[in-house]
Amino acid sequence: MRALVTGANGFLGRHVVAALLARGTEVRAMVRPAASLEALGWPSSVEVFRADLRTSRELRRAFEGVDVLLHLAAVVSGGEDAQFAATVAGTERLLDAMATSACRRLVLCSSFSVYDYSSTRRTLDEGSPLHQVPDVYTRDGYTISKWWQERVTRRFVAKHGWDVTVLRPGFIWGRDHGYLSALGQQLGRHQLVVGPLTRIPMTHVENCADVFALAAVDARAQGQTLNVVDGPGERIWSYLSDHMRGSGQPGWRLPVPYWLAIWVVRLAFATVFKRATKVPSVLIPRRLESRLKPLRFENRRLRETLDWTPPLDYQQCLARTYGPAAPRRAGR
Amino acid sequence: MKAALVGAGQIARQHLACLKALPGVELAAICDLSPATAEAAAERYGIRAWFTDHRAMLEKARPGVVHVTTPPASHFGLAMDSFDAGAHVIVEKPATSTFEELETLVRRAQEAGRHLVEDHNYVFNHAPQEILRRIRSGQFGAVTHVEVLVCLDILGPNGFADPNSPHPALTLAGGAIADFLPHLASLAHLFVGPHRTAQTVWTKRKPSPLPFDEFRGVVDAERGTAALGFSSSSQPDAFWLRVYGERMQATANLFETRLTFDGPRNVPKPLRPFFSGLEEGKTVRRAALATLLRKFKGPGAYEGLWELLARTYRALADGSALPVTVCHILAVNRMVEALKPREQPP
Repeated sequence: MRALVTGANGFLGRHVVAALLARGTEVRAMVRPAASLEALGWPSSVEVFRADLRTSRELRRAFEGVDVLLHLAAVVSGGEDAQFAATVAGTERLLDAMATSACRRLVLCSSFSVYDYSSTRRTLDEGSPLHQVPDVYTRDGYTISKWWQERVTRRFVAKHGWDVTVLRPGFIWGRDHGYLSALGQQLGRHQLVVGPLTRIPMTHVENCADVFALAAVDARAQGQTLNVVDGPGERIWSYLSDHMRGSGQPGWRLPVPYWLAIWVVRLAFATVFKRATKVPSVLIPRRLESRLKPLRFENRRLRETLDWTPPLDYQQCLARTYGPAAPRRAGR
Repeated sequence: MKAALVGAGQIARQHLACLKALPGVELAAICDLSPATAEAAAERYGIRAWFTDHRAMLEKARPGVVHVTTPPASHFGLAMDSFDAGAHVIVEKPATSTFEELETLVRRAQEAGRHLVEDHNYVFNHAPQEILRRIRSGQFGAVTHVEVLVCLDILGPNGFADPNSPHPALTLAGGAIADFLPHLASLAHLFVGPHRTAQTVWTKRKPSPLPFDEFRGVVDAERGTAALGFSSSSQPDAFWLRVYGERMQATANLFETRLTFDGPRNVPKPLRPFFSGLEEGKTVRRAALATLLRKFKGPGAYEGLWELLARTYRALADGSALPVTVCHILAVNRMVEALKPREQPP
């Protein structure tokens, strides 16, 4: 089996390539023209295809001999329009090219950000409500892009009768990506911890990559939409503690109850900021909710559908992220 | 009046936000090569129809005004088709890639009895308009010189200097900086009129995909002189406008709300710098707060675009003079032509 992986040199992509190779899958890695690959140490069996989804004209060739597409490419920084152009219009161009090929199977990397946290009560799972039009346009650029990317993909799938698996990872963490926006608000070296006992919907990058590699080859994944989290998640306070110890980052943690933070932000949003959407995300109630609302997170469907358990437990993930001197907690 | 847009990217968002707030304007249609980009804009701004083919849009939506907000190389063809469909055209700067195309476009507009408006948005920001008001009232005195210097880091990998995907502006003579020449020229034209001669220096100081990253120009114009510049290296980002009159001088940063005047005072001459400094300090503090607050809501540095569009639609509705006339457009673009590099970069 040959897999085409977009965003293959990204934080998740490089681990997905490794996980596919470990399962004996041939890999064609799509990377941008100027991407530097030396540090990745890919074996010569990895076929590199250089293209930019925004502009490259030769995307059709990327699908020659490909059995499954793992579409991970997305722009996660920059302005809203730049993210939309690369993530959404880029997906359109990629899937237009796929439609001319014999490849009929794809695995899409979506995101927890497509869920409407404001309307979700208690537990967030695959049945939780998604953002709706026009409300989605009040969200941040990343959310709008990922929501639209999934929408575009499902339209192509419906039109061409493809097999699709949509994977929605929570916060992906790993080496050099230990800090998560779910941890609250940084104030210089210090951290405002909103809702310190809230659990984080998190998946270590190697565990997450394992799910992608499995979904690419396992027929039970076809037609499924699965949330990808390693388990119920660590509490913000304790994960932040591990992160600060592991990264050697000094600073104070100031805990603030979630209910207090959200009411202060709601009040300020309605009065001081007069519902302006150009203020920082942490000052917009719905965007704050999508980062910090205390909910339960489940991976029951993922476990039951693919019979999956995370290859790495939390302590192993800490060691992979922060090195052998990573913090270890007693009794875990 | 029915308005339609071709191109739903970053600058289109500014047009759409303004048009949605303008009384008497109906957002009839939007077109983009990307269906999702067009549909998303239609949903967000309540636009009735979206298209991926501009000719289909012109035929079905029959707009009275078409905003062309695509990359520069496509402006000419889209504007010509819009005139053929009987619409007025508001086109982003630079209106066309070459002056010959612009002349053709102007002729076509006149034949069709339609108007062409190029977006000279910074001319309509508060600061240049306030300086203009003082000039017209006589308190500023005749303008002798104007300086316009844009300091903007365009060497980062996510914009003009993207190493993965050549930016559309790189097709212009002068590359990314040419995209800013209409801003420089329109402000120079506002204060000192059409140019007579121009001397320029184009250089490249840092490695990047850009052909040039620094530009300086000196213009001899009908009513004074202008020093124009663009610097990719000087930080922080700023858009300095300095206007020198016979009685007053004005300094503005068009990326912010800062505008200060220095002129005669009823104090002994040795004390003038002291009182001028006090007043300037007060004005700058007020502008700092205003700049912060405008980040939360409204058009920000695009305030001039909103003003230009409001005046344009008013003029189209009541038949009065347009805020940017064909004479302005031709004069500004003649100056732009004179400022363009004569040679390819080494």
